[in-house]
Amino acid sequence: MYRQGDILLLPVDEGAVPVGVTGLPAKPRDGRGRIVLALGEVTGHAHAVVGAGTLFLDPEPTTIGHLKIDAPTRLVHEEHATISLPKGWYKVVRQREYIPGAVRIIAD
Amino acid sequence: MTAAPTVFPQLTLAHRATLAESADGWAEVAAAARPADRDAAERGIRAAYRAAGLAEPGKILWYASPLAAAVAATVVSGAFKPQELAALRLPVRAPMASRAGASVRDRIRSASWERARADAVALLGHTGWAQAWGEIAERLWDPTTSLSARIRDGIEEAVLSATGTDRGPARRGTVTPTAPVAREARAATLDALGGQHDAAWLAAFDGLRRCFPRLDASPSAAALDAVAEVARSAGWWWPYENVVLVAERPTVLHRDESARLHNGEGAALAFPDGFALHAWRGMPVPADFVTTLGPAGGALNAQRIRDEDNAELRRVMLEIYGYDRYLAEVGARPLHRDETGVLWRIELPGDEPIVMVEVLNSTPEPDGSVRVYWLRVPPTTRTARAGVAWTFGLTEQEYRPARET
Repeated sequence: MYRQGDILLLPVDEGAVPVGVTGLPAKPRDGRGRIVLALGEVTGHAHAVVGAGTLFLDPEPTTIGHLKIDAPTRLVHEEHATISLPKGWYKVVRQREYIPGAVRIIAD
Repeated sequence: MTAAPTVFPQLTLAHRATLAESADGWAEVAAAARPADRDAAERGIRAAYRAAGLAEPGKILWYASPLAAAVAATVVSGAFKPQELAALRLPVRAPMASRAGASVRDRIRSASWERARADAVALLGHTGWAQAWGEIAERLWDPTTSLSARIRDGIEEAVLSATGTDRGPARRGTVTPTAPVAREARAATLDALGGQHDAAWLAAFDGLRRCFPRLDASPSAAALDAVAEVARSAGWWWPYENVVLVAERPTVLHRDESARLHNGEGAALAFPDGFALHAWRGMPVPADFVTTLGPAGGALNAQRIRDEDNAELRRVMLEIYGYDRYLAEVGARPLHRDETGVLWRIELPGDEPIVMVEVLNSTPEPDGSVRVYWLRVPPTTRTARAGVAWTFGLTEQEYRPARET
């Protein structure tokens, strides 16, 4: 598994990818052709994948979705070092913090 | 014989991208902190009356904040007379109930929102509509509804703390006259349309009309355009038969990364007449609270933090003071330490303990220093790794990153 700041990518065996994931809506690429996994709302800094792949969006906000990487590529961010991503499936999870009575999602 | 089932168009990727674009544009409208465009707003208001089948209002009155407009609305509704409010030193320029007529909010809402929703459901089916709404709502609904709720609370509090009489606060032993006004002013906010804070549902219909231009032919289109023009130009507005009260937009709006009201150096939300809300990461705080803690919490110490009875204010004090300083000052010892970080626990009287992992940012800052940050985790956490794992929804055994940056 790979962690970049507040985002964790968990490798998932193709056989273990939940049924129906590929039927979920895919995230459109941004203006620069990247797949943005998560965006800092104020800074605009993004955890983004540059190469060939698809992010199937979960309805659940903490698990961003399932990412299918078709060829080795890179996960980039303005403030974090780049991570090389092997081909395969990943579950993308956003970090959360405990607040009494609620859980808050971290955004960096 | 049963009719053939209706086949609804599916939302494609292109549709979803269009909806997302619409949400982006309307997020800016919702966060606009600049003077209203009064001409455009008044144009939109008149068009909204026509689209709802109503005669145009005779008068459009502007207020410097939703507080001022809500107080005026208590006069328009007949709940109070201007002279009763004057004693509270509240802004009272308002037409009498008999002149203003009844509220027409429901007429304008049903001409726009309800009719447009029915059109969207007819076109997309309930599932398609729910999906389209979900695309927008996630981005816009919570921020706008929670901000509106905070403004409502703020209006009630501002009226409650109004000075009482011109000679100063109400005399001891007399019942403060502000409570019923505060209650009515809050109730009056429910007669308003949201203006810029109607962005969520306007974004949904705006995006859907861009996806499916045939919706433009619907009778709801003119009503939506009108309400949208007001939303792009002004704050909350109260439509009555003959009169409209319109509030200015804020001049100040500060939020944190999670879109919660947040400012350590002044108001997080402020209007031209001084009506303002103060907040630290979404938690309401008294106006001078953060500044009295001194620069970087310089006026604080562990004792003063422990002595604060209000758990939310104590949390704000701790964040400003710095968990590390607090822990050092009380001589705290870490609960646990491993390669993922350090686990700390702060016991607080009358509140659940604060348990946190102290983590190093894996990518150094440009100057070579390493940023330390703190993540609060459930109080039952026993190891640093279990804490970090919890923040990603994993167990201690599952959390094994091969690379971290």
